[in-house]
Amino acid sequence: MNYLYFLYIEFLTKHNVPQIIGDITFYCIPITIIFIVLLLVVLALVLAERKLLGWFTQRKGPNRVGFWGILQTLADALKLLCKENITPSSADRFLFNLAPILMFTPALVVLGLIPYSSEFMFVNFQTNVLIYIIFAGFPILSILIGGWASNNKYSLFGGMRNVSQVLAYELPIAFSLLGVITLASSMNLGKITLAQSTQYGVLGWFWMPCIIGFIVMFISILAELNRCPFDLPEAESELICGYNTEYSGMRFALFYLGEYSLLFANALFLSVLFLGGYLSPFGKYISTVFFGGQIGEILLYFEQVFWLILKSFFIIFVVIWIRAVFPRMASFDLLKFSWAFLLPISILNLLLMVLLKYFMGGVYA
Amino acid sequence: MLKGIKGLIVSMLTVFKHLFKNSVTLEYPEKKIILSNNFRGMPIVEGCIKCGTCIKVCPSGAIKIESDNFNINMEKCIFCGNCAYYCPKNCIKMSDNYELASSDKNDLSLNFDISKKGEE
Amino acid sequence: MTNTNLLKLNLGPQHPSTHGVLRLILELDGEKIVSCKPDVGYLHRGMEKMAERLSYVQYYPTVDRIDYLAGFFYSELFCEIIEKALNVELSERVKAIRVLLLELNRIASHLLWIGAYLMDLGAVSPFFYTFRERELILKYFEKITGQRMMNNYFIFGGVRRDIFDIEDVEEFLEILKTKIKDYERIIDSNPIFLQRTKGKGVLEQNVALNGAITGVNLRASGVNLDFRTKHKLYEGYEFTPIVSEGKDCYTRYRARVLELNESSKLIKQAIEKLKQNSALNQTLIQPIGLKLPAGEFYSEIEAPRGLASCYVKSDGENKPYRLKWRTGSYYAVNLLRKLLKGTYLNDAIAIAGSLDIILPEVDK
Repeated sequence: MNYLYFLYIEFLTKHNVPQIIGDITFYCIPITIIFIVLLLVVLALVLAERKLLGWFTQRKGPNRVGFWGILQTLADALKLLCKENITPSSADRFLFNLAPILMFTPALVVLGLIPYSSEFMFVNFQTNVLIYIIFAGFPILSILIGGWASNNKYSLFGGMRNVSQVLAYELPIAFSLLGVITLASSMNLGKITLAQSTQYGVLGWFWMPCIIGFIVMFISILAELNRCPFDLPEAESELICGYNTEYSGMRFALFYLGEYSLLFANALFLSVLFLGGYLSPFGKYISTVFFGGQIGEILLYFEQVFWLILKSFFIIFVVIWIRAVFPRMASFDLLKFSWAFLLPISILNLLLMVLLKYFMGGVYA
Repeated sequence: MLKGIKGLIVSMLTVFKHLFKNSVTLEYPEKKIILSNNFRGMPIVEGCIKCGTCIKVCPSGAIKIESDNFNINMEKCIFCGNCAYYCPKNCIKMSDNYELASSDKNDLSLNFDISKKGEE
Repeated sequence: MTNTNLLKLNLGPQHPSTHGVLRLILELDGEKIVSCKPDVGYLHRGMEKMAERLSYVQYYPTVDRIDYLAGFFYSELFCEIIEKALNVELSERVKAIRVLLLELNRIASHLLWIGAYLMDLGAVSPFFYTFRERELILKYFEKITGQRMMNNYFIFGGVRRDIFDIEDVEEFLEILKTKIKDYERIIDSNPIFLQRTKGKGVLEQNVALNGAITGVNLRASGVNLDFRTKHKLYEGYEFTPIVSEGKDCYTRYRARVLELNESSKLIKQAIEKLKQNSALNQTLIQPIGLKLPAGEFYSEIEAPRGLASCYVKSDGENKPYRLKWRTGSYYAVNLLRKLLKGTYLNDAIAIAGSLDIILPEVDK
């Protein structure tokens, strides 16, 4: 990022623009990039999910709008835009309108914290991980507000279920995260990525030493995202649509967008923590092997982004796969599963990681 | 516990297997389902002798016969095939036309000219 | 006195998992159900009153619509009434045809239930898999009877036309055998499914018997009562009713899967009989001006959702004086009052689904 920043400032000073304008405009660029890329990715994700669910059940999935159904989500989004925004007469108007916004904005912030390559890291704090966790927990507030403000019994149930669920699964996430932080000796996502580049290649990534933490975290993130088998807050066959029963039009679209962008963000987060982030699985980057010189260096950044996105898509594929297979969990078993099983196991994992760091600290220096 | 994990993996792999199978979807307006000869679709009348059996067996009262006009009200018809089955001269046939949706109510009233009686 | 701390929730009549238009008026304490009051009648079509207006042959095609998933069973009941009243004996081939189609229909109905139940529990794929197999049955029905669901194929004293393409059925049974193994791999081995269904919705024997529950639900509670063993059509068929002891949702699910196998056995025997008797030999009853002798007539059969029976009181006219249908689901709905009390909303869906309630059958 610094590299790009200096290039930009240098370019501006050549044309006699004061530096302060450069400082301000420079941060507009990443936000715009994130927003556009995010919208495209979400559109692709929704299509991918529907296509995959179709293939899993020997159907075709969307195949009418555009070639191979590629414009289906765009058409759906347009439809939602054109629909009337209905606010139920007995709803709390202010909170009802606030909830979808609260759902979507954290996803944008969170995406800025991910190190996409060794240079593209839009917001680089020393304690990136903590900020990520704080913002990724925001949607719980939005769902609670939305569920309560709708003044619908099903929505209320959805909101309440979500709160108890997220509270239960937030702790296992924290503990397995601590395991990773111990291994990497850093709270910065960029440094966590770098700590994984060892001589062991793929086996050196944190999923190998921290396999328990990886599985616990994967399960907990499923619960945080309200994905199957933890989709109780919007359980279709029980609560109709849960917290977004009363939402329509653009507000519903925002909920939808927020959900999928958080899915994408969390998949990125998981692949940064456990699957080596932007590191190449072959140890060497392909672009530096094939292209020498400056082109290779620039292509390298894009290759790193490619690896990260590929890893996150693999995680998303597994999430969709799980959705195709699993029934929903019972509400009390779900809480029991977290408090009585995941939490102890993640604490155990943390202990293991501390021991590992103590005795084999040399590997992850 | 181990049994549970094994079960999860087995069920996930069984679903995964279906990813590589051909889809069973019939792309309807382009490709149509292959119907048998017995299919009971829109009725067609030919060579009626005005015996009135069909009126007596029709459960929904969809059939009306006026001097030279045989009228079937498709809003009422339930495609049970009683009229076709009990017709003594087999002059009512259930065709394989099942695409009867229409925006005009008059399309649903079928009229058949029965002034030409059979050969007798 | 109503407790103001309780939340009143209308589950239905428009709800994704009430299988039609069932309305459950629940009183909830948190997510715990304190009381449940089923409210039926949203799909009432006056099937019984309609019979008093139409002649027998006119009424017959509407009978399939009492339970659209198992129409053959109700056709069979109504034909049986007429045949009993006029003392018409069916030929062996006609009997075999009827058994074949009835059991195929039972398989189709159970397949749909398995898919829909898993959908209630939140699993997506099994729904499409079971529909894929059911489609084969419906295609065969369409070939033989002319329609996929409202078949109107049995007539008084026989069947509308002789059966053909029996190889299709044999082929289907082979496919079904492998697919059942697939379902077991996907569903039975899944620990979340087991957790959701095992030990949930325990239906005690005396509760079931007092509530007039029949069919799979009763047999899963350990009562050996299958009306097929007494039925005239099934004479000479060998099969064992599936009686299991578990009493919970999982047992009811297993019982239905096992019944798929049992029905396949019956179909195989029916095919054997069809091959032995090639002549149709049916003595049809002239439908126009058909009058039943004065008196009361009764017929019963084991439908997929429990005992179904038909009672006709005739005063010698060409229309019944009174006609009454007994359907299995009606009693199952009533049972929800007891079964859902004290459970959680989440389990309530699993329990209500496991009873295989279908609303057109309840409301008639």
